[in-house]
This record gives sequence, C-alpha cells and structure tokens, in this order.
Amino acid sequence: MERQSVLATEDEVVNWIEDGMTIAIGEPAPMAMVRHIIRNRISGLTIIGSGIALDYLIAGGCVSKVISYYAGGGFGVAVAPSFRHAAQTGELEVWECDEGVLTSGLEATAKGLPFLPWRGGVGTSLPEVNKDLRVMEDPINGEILLAVPAIHIDVALLHASKADVYGNVQHQGGPGWIDLFLRRAANRVAVQVEKIIPNEEVRSDAWATTISNADAVIRAPYGAHPFYSRGHYVQDKKHLKLYVDAATLAVTGEQTYIEEYFRRHVYQTTSHIMYLEVIGITRLLSLHEY
Amino acid sequence: MRYSSVDNFTVQELMAVFLARQLKDGDHLQVGVALPVPEAAVRLAHIMHGPNMELIFLGARMNVHQLEQLPLPEFGWDNRVVRWAESYSDRGHRFDQVKDWYRRVFFIGGVQVDRFGNTNLIGIGNDHQRLDFRGPGSVGTATLTAHVGRYYIVLNNHTPRLLVEKCDFISAFGWGDGGPDARKRLGIPGGGPQLCITPLCVMDFAEDTKCMRLMSVHPGVTVDDVKDATGFPLEISDKLTTTKIPSLEELTILRSRVDPHGSLRS
Repeated sequence: MERQSVLATEDEVVNWIEDGMTIAIGEPAPMAMVRHIIRNRISGLTIIGSGIALDYLIAGGCVSKVISYYAGGGFGVAVAPSFRHAAQTGELEVWECDEGVLTSGLEATAKGLPFLPWRGGVGTSLPEVNKDLRVMEDPINGEILLAVPAIHIDVALLHASKADVYGNVQHQGGPGWIDLFLRRAANRVAVQVEKIIPNEEVRSDAWATTISNADAVIRAPYGAHPFYSRGHYVQDKKHLKLYVDAATLAVTGEQTYIEEYFRRHVYQTTSHIMYLEVIGITRLLSLHEY
Repeated sequence: MRYSSVDNFTVQELMAVFLARQLKDGDHLQVGVALPVPEAAVRLAHIMHGPNMELIFLGARMNVHQLEQLPLPEFGWDNRVVRWAESYSDRGHRFDQVKDWYRRVFFIGGVQVDRFGNTNLIGIGNDHQRLDFRGPGSVGTATLTAHVGRYYIVLNNHTPRLLVEKCDFISAFGWGDGGPDARKRLGIPGGGPQLCITPLCVMDFAEDTKCMRLMSVHPGVTVDDVKDATGFPLEISDKLTTTKIPSLEELTILRSRVDPHGSLRS
C-alpha cells in the first residue's frame, strides 16, 4: 500500500460539481477552475464569492443565487456589471450578508451547529432582506443578536501558492481572505496552486501549512490570472478592463464583445495551459509583484 | 499655523488632511478598498504624528512609520500594499478578537447616508429583489461599525440623492432613529459615526439628537450650497467655521511621501 496522491486535473474536479450545488470561490480567485465551470456549462449554482470572479460565473450563465458580502467592480465600475444587472432584473437571488455574518454561518457548519449568534448587523436591514437571518434574544443576558444559520458548501475552490501531492497547502503571504472559513465549512475542497512542492519541503516548515487534507490539488501556474496571487504576480489590469468593458456592454444589450471574450478565453481553450497560451508569456511575465 | 503660500490644493487633499488631523497616535486604522481619501489620511497621520499607529489594509497589519514613502496603491486590491505586513488579520480567524476593536478606527462610504449616519451599500429601491440600483454589498461594514471605537463617513459627492432623509436599506447602523442612546438600546458596543466628511463640508452629530449638524464648510462653500445639496433639513452648529486649510508641511508630506502620483489631484 502506498500513500495516495490527491493531485488532480481540472476535469476530475469539475466532475464533482453538479447543477444546483453550492460552490465557494476563494480569494485569490481560483480562475482556472472558474473558467472550467463556465466551459462545462454548469448551471443553477449557488456561489459564495465576491467581486469580478463572481461576475464571470454570472456572465457565464452558471449562477442562480449568490451568497456575497461584496460585488464591487473596480476600474471605475462601482458594482460588478453582470451581478448588478442580474440582481436588478430579479434573475439572481442575493443572500444579503456582510463578512462577519457570512463567516458566522460558515463557522456554524464547521462546528456542527444549526446557527451561531452574531452582533454585526443588529439594527440594520440585513434580517429584513434576508429572512434566513433571525433576530434573537440571547438566553444568557437577554441581548439582541442575529442568529446566522449554518451555511453548507458542497465544494470549495481555492487558489494558493504551493502544495505537496498529499494535499498539504502552504500560502505565501498569508492565506486568502476568508479561505480558511470556506475550507472548514466545505464537504470537499480543491486547491489550485502555483507550484507542486516535495513533501520534504512541507515538513521542513509544517507551521506554514495553512490547509491540510485538501481533497484535490491542481497544478495551475498563473491560475488566478487575471487576478493576483500573493508572492507571485499582481492583477492584470488591462485584461480585467477588457472583461469589465465587455460585461458592461453585454448588460446594455450588446452581446458581441462578451461572447467574443468567452469564446477566445474559455470555449476555444480546453484547459488552463491552453488559456495561458492565449494570454501569452510576455503579458504573464509582466505581472511580477515588485 | 497657516502659511499664506498654501492656496492651491484640491478638495480631496483638504479632506485627507482634515481627516488625518482627527487620528490619534495609537489608533488602529482599518481602511477598505476604493477609499482614496482615508487611505491618504491614515498614511499622512502615520508619518506626521502616529509612530504607534497600526495600518490595516487588505487583512494585513503593519506599522511603516519609518519608511520614507508610504505611497497610495495603484489600484484597489493592489496586493503590494501588504508587503510590509507584520501579521495578517485574516489568518483563518478574522473577527475572532472583536472585543478589542474599540482601538480600531474605520472609514465608510455608501450609496445613501441618512441624517442619523446610517449608511446603505445594499442598493436603492423599494423591492430588494428588483432594486433600481444594486449596490456592491455590505463588505464587512455591518460588523465593523458595530464594534470599532469610532468611525468616519467619507463621501466623494454631496447630493440630495446621497444624503437622504431615510436610507432605503441600512447596511451599517449609525445612530438609528437618533438620540445618544440609540446604539446602547440595541447593545451595540462601538462608538458610532463621529463625522461625515464630503467635498463641501464637515458634519458632526448633535449631542442630544445625533442628527447630522453642519460643523465646517470648506473654503469657498456657503451654508446655502450645503443645504441645497442635502436631502434633509440640516442643523447648523453655533460654532460653525470654515474647514482649516492644509499647512505647507502637511501638503508637502502628502504630495511627496503619500501621493506622489497625484491620485488626489486628478
């Protein structure tokens, strides 16, 4: 018997995902897998995610509900265009929350509890526009709190710096935004990494391991492109603008540019490596951190 | 001290300098994305009078007082701002130490702000499922504003559509329906919004009602200008002044060490 490797392909991981599942998208964004979900035309997903990565999946037709604390656009666009349009027309259900509320729901799942109490959001409209949040009286001191129900995740998709083939993940420059909450609440977690490292390297600094027992590790250099990956590259502003402009036009009825964007970067490529060839090595190498 | 040679600055520079003066050494300053005025203000205060301040950007905690330059990031989510981090607040346990957030100072904007300093990042409209304008979402503001020692509302515009009688939705609870005990009644421990800073003026909250009250107008702005641009009846402080302009030293440090690329001048 040998210890089993969890090294996986994009195809193997996308096969875990069925229409209608709840999928969490980490930050830095696991864009290789985001593109692969769109490429495989999976639909009806509930996405826990934020920003433009979330917007990609909405524009790609994969999403019916979002659990999101922030869908900002950047680049002169205050709100991500596809998110804004789909939410305004009622095509998209928005589970309204803030980061504190969301992480409470994720921790409830991780701890096997039906809910956790949280104070942030008391006095706000959150429990009015999100009926899953209940205003409760705490049984100890009678304080007013929100009860945040457990938020379950079928698959969490994350991006990190490096991992060994046994699912020991080490982030450079700290783990992503709420990625460890997503990991703890998820039934399965797949982590894309810039680099696969030997198990000896993991053991030389075990304290640096941020996630252990990942269910899959996907080798995806530049896998967060066009977003940043701490310690490796910054976001590709030019490329993001290309997307944001195309998505902004699409919601005004001009579909040509977003269709061309997805055709060139998603549908005409079959894998992450093919995508990188489309972007080109000159552009990729220009995104160094410092 | 005023220097007569300083007469050429932008309103954003004025706002940043004013805000920097409100920050005290030892404050823990958390700034979210896309808030260039507070981003400049915390850096300026850190250089000028805050060697023991902590700056918290994108989950990274840093003290960079000794650096020659603390330039503003090129763009929101520019991860390079964390290069001097001493630790990360998001290492799997964000929000685990909110009991200590009384030391934190926070800055917030909104798509609507009402007369009691409640703010809205959810959107504008009557029906949450079909909003006229869908906002970006609450980010961490519902939680942060509940717990931080104090916070400042900083706006890029001052219009009756932004400063409204009542927010369509509230994503961060300020002073609720008013009164000094508005927060205490709900058991919300944080100190609440202190000031609202806009391109026209600075407003505080009257002690007894917690209604927004005009405290100072920026140079060249009249009280009527502010009244016309505000969507609710504005109280006027009996100590109303003109916002103090930046000193030569403040403006020099701001331009040479914080904002060399002129983000606040464009």
